[in-house]
Amino acid sequence: MADQMQLCNISANNFEQCTKCSICTTVCPVAAVTTDYPGPKQAGPDGERYRLKDPAFYDKALKLCLNCKRCEVACPSGVHIADIIQRARMSAGEGKRASLRDTLLANTDLLGTAANLVAPVANATLGLKPTKLVMHSVMSIHKHRTFPAYSRTKFETWYKRHAAKQQDAYSRHVSYFHGCYVNYNFPKLGQDLVKLMNAAGYGVHLLDKEQCCGVALIANGLYKQARRQARVNAANIRQAVSARHHTVLTTSSSCTFNLRDEYPAILDIDTSDVRDNIMLATRFIYNLVDEEKIKLIFKQDYKRRIAYHTACHMQRMGWQIYSIELLRMIPGLDLVELDQECCGISGTYGFKKENYERSQAIGSTLFKLIEDAHVEAVATDCETCKWQIEMSTGLPVENPVSILADALDVEATRRANMISD
Amino acid sequence: MIIIGGGATGAGTARDCALRGLNVLLVERNDYSTGATGRNHGLMHSGARYAVTDSESASECISENMILRRIARHCVEETDGLFITLPEDDLQYQQTFVDACHRAGIRADVIDPEEARRIEPAVNPDLIGAVRVPDAAIDPFRLTVANLLDARLHGADTLNYHEVEGFVINQNRVEAVKLLNKKNGEHVEVRGRVIVNAAGIWGQRIAEMAGVKISMFPARGALLIFGHRVNNMVINRCRKPANADILVPDDTVCVIGTTSDRIPIETVDDMRVTREEVDVLLSEGVKIAPSLATTRIIRAYAGVRPLVASDDDPSGRSISRGIVCLDHAKRDGLEGFITITGGKMMTYRLMGQIATDAVCAKLGNTAPCITADQPLPGSEDESIFKENPAKRYSFGLRAALGRHGSLARNIDRDNDIDNALVCECEGVTVGEIKYAVNDLHVHNLVNLRRRTRLGMGTCQGKLCSCRAASLMGEFSHDVKGAQEDLAAFLDERWKGMRPVAWGDTLREAQLTAAIYEGLCGLDMVVDTTGKEDVQ
Amino acid sequence: MRTDTVIIGGGLSGLTCGIALAKRGQRVTIVASGQSTLLFNGGSMDLLGYIDGQAVKAPLDVIAQLPIDHPYRKIGTERIADLADQAKQLLEDAGIMTEGSANANHWRVTPMGVAKPAWLTLKSHVCIDDIEQLPCKRVALMCVRGFFDQPNGMLANGLQQMGFNVEKKEFTTDEITTLRRSPSEMRAVSLSKRLVSNSSLKRVADQINALAADADMMLLPSVLGDEEAFDTLQSMTVKPLRLVATLPPSMAGIRMQKQLQHYFRMLGGNYLMGDSAVSAVIDGDRVVSVTTAKLGDMPLRANNFVLASGSFISRGLTADYERIYEPVMDLDVDADANRDNWTQFGVLNPQAYSRYGVKTDDSLHCIKQGKTISNLHAIGSVLSGHDPIKMADGTGVSLLTALAAAQDILAK
Repeated sequence: MADQMQLCNISANNFEQCTKCSICTTVCPVAAVTTDYPGPKQAGPDGERYRLKDPAFYDKALKLCLNCKRCEVACPSGVHIADIIQRARMSAGEGKRASLRDTLLANTDLLGTAANLVAPVANATLGLKPTKLVMHSVMSIHKHRTFPAYSRTKFETWYKRHAAKQQDAYSRHVSYFHGCYVNYNFPKLGQDLVKLMNAAGYGVHLLDKEQCCGVALIANGLYKQARRQARVNAANIRQAVSARHHTVLTTSSSCTFNLRDEYPAILDIDTSDVRDNIMLATRFIYNLVDEEKIKLIFKQDYKRRIAYHTACHMQRMGWQIYSIELLRMIPGLDLVELDQECCGISGTYGFKKENYERSQAIGSTLFKLIEDAHVEAVATDCETCKWQIEMSTGLPVENPVSILADALDVEATRRANMISD
Repeated sequence: MIIIGGGATGAGTARDCALRGLNVLLVERNDYSTGATGRNHGLMHSGARYAVTDSESASECISENMILRRIARHCVEETDGLFITLPEDDLQYQQTFVDACHRAGIRADVIDPEEARRIEPAVNPDLIGAVRVPDAAIDPFRLTVANLLDARLHGADTLNYHEVEGFVINQNRVEAVKLLNKKNGEHVEVRGRVIVNAAGIWGQRIAEMAGVKISMFPARGALLIFGHRVNNMVINRCRKPANADILVPDDTVCVIGTTSDRIPIETVDDMRVTREEVDVLLSEGVKIAPSLATTRIIRAYAGVRPLVASDDDPSGRSISRGIVCLDHAKRDGLEGFITITGGKMMTYRLMGQIATDAVCAKLGNTAPCITADQPLPGSEDESIFKENPAKRYSFGLRAALGRHGSLARNIDRDNDIDNALVCECEGVTVGEIKYAVNDLHVHNLVNLRRRTRLGMGTCQGKLCSCRAASLMGEFSHDVKGAQEDLAAFLDERWKGMRPVAWGDTLREAQLTAAIYEGLCGLDMVVDTTGKEDVQ
Repeated sequence: MRTDTVIIGGGLSGLTCGIALAKRGQRVTIVASGQSTLLFNGGSMDLLGYIDGQAVKAPLDVIAQLPIDHPYRKIGTERIADLADQAKQLLEDAGIMTEGSANANHWRVTPMGVAKPAWLTLKSHVCIDDIEQLPCKRVALMCVRGFFDQPNGMLANGLQQMGFNVEKKEFTTDEITTLRRSPSEMRAVSLSKRLVSNSSLKRVADQINALAADADMMLLPSVLGDEEAFDTLQSMTVKPLRLVATLPPSMAGIRMQKQLQHYFRMLGGNYLMGDSAVSAVIDGDRVVSVTTAKLGDMPLRANNFVLASGSFISRGLTADYERIYEPVMDLDVDADANRDNWTQFGVLNPQAYSRYGVKTDDSLHCIKQGKTISNLHAIGSVLSGHDPIKMADGTGVSLLTALAAAQDILAK
């Protein structure tokens, strides 16, 4: 007998392990709100057996998949259901041209660069009724959708002007993959990370070069471009890890998941050598506290009640525990952990006119949970969840890193970590 | 005339006879295609496998191969095949093989190992030689049903679950067949001018009932079914035929086989696969396609080839794989009785033609055989294969088109309930079940599985069998019967799963037990012990 | 990461144990490798349903007759009685309201209309105390048009044989008809998501009220998302309403899993959904830490560990081509070494694999290479010596061993 004979039954994407128990269908947020989507079992392992026989069995309805990965999280058999679906979409869509709208939505950094230059105008224009109507009809971006506001100054610009010089003074160092959202829309989150890490005694550095991680490109079928950008990012992360021995921190769960897991699974870009060195800042910080390498001291007068929402990709990574446990360290914070439900936005999915209603229907369960929690704000590690929840509940949504930075007693923390000014 | 045996040969004979205007009755003791017809590789031989050792069989195969591509296109998948030489094999044999193929009229192109790896990524990458031949995959269940449908369209009657109990013989002439209707226990006698024994390996017993002796040499072969296709071309070993040297992509699965063991005729009804057979199939199979080592096996099964000893050598030393047609009037002085046996599923049509010729000679019928030119029902209309069924999501319709060809038109799909999927692994809808029950002689879930693939997917009927049993119970108004049928179906599935019950297949079995016994309590209301093995 | 207790497995036993510990102030982390087999539960818990194929009337009376290696024997009858009360209370605290007691089994009605002995049944679900004295005579079985996960014919036939006078009625509403447009997804859970609002429930009520005629009780497949929906619907129906389990995934199971998970979180527990334990560090007779697939190089440390990883289906046990083993720590298992003996012919016959599981001492401590591990308990379906299929003791073993282990841990 050959050594490994039948000792494990693992086919590509593990789909042989599917016992057809149908549990995945019970958690699929899309199948819950529409009859147009066959559900993860049918779209994934069932359909795959037929697509292996004849690619004509590919079904266009698969484009309704959010790629939220909730099916994979629920699967008791370890089947990479959503990966099977993404792969099928990719082989069916390769070579086809994406629409102008999809290209625009997917190119978050292109759009961001242009908008930063004219931020006040862009924000005003994107918010104007006539503009929204044009986008709704011509671009198929739903008119109720509020575009995230663009910042006047990019995070990278702020960093170079106000932070870069000071970083070398610290004895320990990390790199930061800030992502498009921090760079173009919300530099404050990046600034909060720098504040937090500096207080803990770490200098924060940018990668030599960073491009959009490509999560939106994958979602919109722009695989070639996604692969190109992924290669650039992988090379620059590798540089930071191997040449500078930095851990590369992130503040967006979707970027993190994309860099660590989707690069190899969907784009066939091997990042196994640096995967363990890419992590969410909350995981990194939690570990330092847990191992008593740093101390965090929080303000005595900080008092808030906040609900934590686990973003889908965060749940897929299984790292919400770090953000939650860190937030629980803030004495004045009353934290409610929400049951895990999808908010419905899924990156650019919910921006599209044809998906808007489905997107809101998917999110309705979560919005109700938030409403019932009677909180003043929501914490989550994903920027697109933030837009969706802010638009749909009216509550402010903050990244745990920002909450930690706000609650931090910087002076006391610096002293506790023996950082001199 | 009466044909005994509802395998491919019997069905092919019934079709041929009916097309030539004869008055035909076909009887089958179980369901159609339960014998060797439903228990082989599903391989449409090019004949290359026999080219070196049996040139006659090889020529028959390639000729029938080309005919089946025309007349049975909805049962055939034109995959082509590879004959690979591995480092442990003799590369010299390749030339012998190719020459023999060419002599038999079989296209055989030597290709570069690199090219072989490109066109069939599942192949053992260590191969040192490859030959491409026109092998293909064929679905024997569909093929048999299509022949029976055509026979019926041309006036034939066909009865399943009718077992031959004996014959009425008068003055050295078989005049009638005594039958037991296994559904209601009634005994009937049917008269016929000519009786054709097309009972495969069971033909020896049939002949004994008529008082004549045929020496069958039952050769048992076991096979394994894997959960999905790892290969899209048939892969053979380029060497003298041996154990487990063919891997065939069949519909949504692939099948490795076979073993080959002489067994006593008394044991031909015991189709249980042994641990030793599983082990040899696996260890040999991974040499053809290494990924089989880590692919889930969904079941194991075995069949018995109806090989025949030639009459001039009753010792059995010389066993023919060729077609044997015995006119017992000439051979044994018994009028009105013909045996058609030997051969293989691949040459069923030719066997039918030879048997029909013999029948016609007796009856003075001079009509020509047209089975090689006239497409089978389901294959006659080309346009359906180009039709795009993209209405809503079309999984069920597409799967049904693959199974029934143009006959898929007869499946109701006008309302949402008819379009509802019952078996989600194989895409079987309520409409398709209705069609199978109404038009395809379906009496129970196992019949339904053979006609539609319901329950043949990775889960082996976990939820679909209950849904289908419930529907069948509604059609028949026999709820109790439907419950018993459900248990019998699960038992039949388990028979194939048990020899490979480890890993995910054992998990699957445990979940099935949790649902049907734990949750539903089926074991409390049904007693399956002592039920007949084959349905 | 350090907590007081780490539990491997997030199904019925893992959650029960986690809740019992968290209620007493422990910090608990549960690693749940996907959703659990609780999702196949039809709304009843069984403690002990059958001995040698005979239905058990009073489970507590016959525990002494069980084989010596049965988990209940290890716990002991007296303690079982006490834990059974605690279990019912714990479920209630989580919002799962049940009827029944460990002193006497009642009968649940299966999706195929079979009466099986049960210990606890959800209040919203049909159950019968005494099969000789049915609570009512005339039953209207309300069948959802196009819903195939309930074998209505078999169910009606079974109820008839129990002595009910059954009227089978079919109904649909706009929501249900729209849902049927999907070729594949008319499962109990898809129905439940359409039957949430008062107006959609009102439409169901209108339909079934019109069909109820002179029935004493209406039965509806268990397709409602929560107790709230059931209460709302019941308040609108003209006759008493009860639910019957469907084929899985079952709404009753989905609800219970959700409620237990929610309750555990409310108690401050960490529930790591979709992660799985891959290995453990064992030092002498103690487990030091457990490494999970997703937390990677940051293992979970604790004083106590509980193995609640389930049987083969949940991958708590692995059968490969050659052997059966416990995949996280390679603990000692009770299982035959010969593959041929794992199973037997006849799908409905007792199957040996069903009784396989990890070996434990009398306090449910796991054993590795013959040595007891002092801070590792095994609970639930991963335990050997019981047979959820043929003895109907699966959920009982899960609940009671979970509570026994929790008591043990808290007593330390």
